Amino acid sequence: MIRYHPSKQLMHKHVAGELPVGLSVAIAAHVELCDKCRAEVEAIEAKQADMFFTSEMHVDSDTKDVSLAEDDLLFDAMLSDITSLEVETEVVPNEVTMFDYQDRSVQLPRAIAALKLGSFMNAGKVSRARFELDEGPMRSSLLHIKPGGEIPEHTHTGFELTLLLDGTFEDESGKYVPGDFIMLDGRHNHTPKTKDGCLCFTLVDNALHFNKGLSKLLNPIGKLIY
Amino acid sequence: MVSLEQSRDCRTKKGINQGMQETPSEQLTQALVNVANNADKKAYAYLFSYFAPKIKRFGIKQFGSEAMAMELVQDTMTSVWRKAKLYHQDKGAATTWVYTIMRNASFDALRKVKSNREDNLSEEIWPLFHDEQVCEKSFKDHLQTNQLKEKIKNLPAAQRDVVVGVYFEDMTQEQLAQHLGIPVGTVKSRLRLALKKLKVELGEQHD
Repeated sequence: MIRYHPSKQLMHKHVAGELPVGLSVAIAAHVELCDKCRAEVEAIEAKQADMFFTSEMHVDSDTKDVSLAEDDLLFDAMLSDITSLEVETEVVPNEVTMFDYQDRSVQLPRAIAALKLGSFMNAGKVSRARFELDEGPMRSSLLHIKPGGEIPEHTHTGFELTLLLDGTFEDESGKYVPGDFIMLDGRHNHTPKTKDGCLCFTLVDNALHFNKGLSKLLNPIGKLIY
Repeated sequence: MVSLEQSRDCRTKKGINQGMQETPSEQLTQALVNVANNADKKAYAYLFSYFAPKIKRFGIKQFGSEAMAMELVQDTMTSVWRKAKLYHQDKGAATTWVYTIMRNASFDALRKVKSNREDNLSEEIWPLFHDEQVCEKSFKDHLQTNQLKEKIKNLPAAQRDVVVGVYFEDMTQEQLAQHLGIPVGTVKSRLRLALKKLKVELGEQHD
């Protein structure tokens, strides 16, 4: 069962469209896998819509009179332009995108499947490809780790989000299953490892910081994952 | 069916809405259902007069630009008209549906400003219409043919000017709007209308 979900605060910002794309993609992918959060998103949408469209009447009366006549002209033109357009009637069913890794084939959540993926780089058992989102220091990647793979203990200067898509992994806090939305920041140390291999969507907003002697020298893996 | 107290004059309608004690949520939903079932223009005019000024206000808050705010109104309300068929009453109130369309359009516009990417990911993140995509891109390939030029000549003057400006004189929609002295939103909707018309005409010939 999925045990890790996006926080309430994140969900609200997600629904309002205020999050960076990578983060909203991760939440959308989680929501696709988690019925509880899907219901939650729908409830928040209804609430925000209600707040915005029906509870703000008082603001209307103070501010709108100034450019009203001019707006009305523009709006009238727009209205008649729009209603002369033909309506659409067809809905094409969603296409499903599969992703093959190791010896498995996994259905990717829609929001993730829509992104452009660069090529994979490997370091030992870890492979990473970046999504081309152009979000500055915030980087979204697809990561897969072969059975028995482990990432050296590290903390995060910013935050690290992992959305497990397939397989399992575990760290000091326990075992994770597909759909788990794991948000870590500078307060957390962890050493994720996977027994049978796994596929994750990750979002990191700063290079990882490795804690132990030898791993400090192994910074390539930090850059790889970032 | 609920009476919508229609009038051609927007101001009158706004007056009515303001004076109402309760939220008009049910009336809006009923109007949207009428648009969905019958492409009802009166019902749509009611939705438009209710939502357009509020969407504009949201747009100004988001973009700090009057022009972009009007574009948001245009994009959102065009989707409401064209995709009304995909609205289901049992999935929620009209206000929720319009809000999500507005949020998606605004998200894509902001992404264009911030990252200069026109990947329009909102529909993938918050799917509202599923996959139905209008193939305006493949249409461009045919623009060279004489047959098409003939068709363009036969368009109403207002639409023809826009098509010629954008596709044959390489003007941006903004430049064209200035040149013709009309809002960018109007350029967009005329363009859409013209392309739709051309597609229908060409499609018929190819049958």
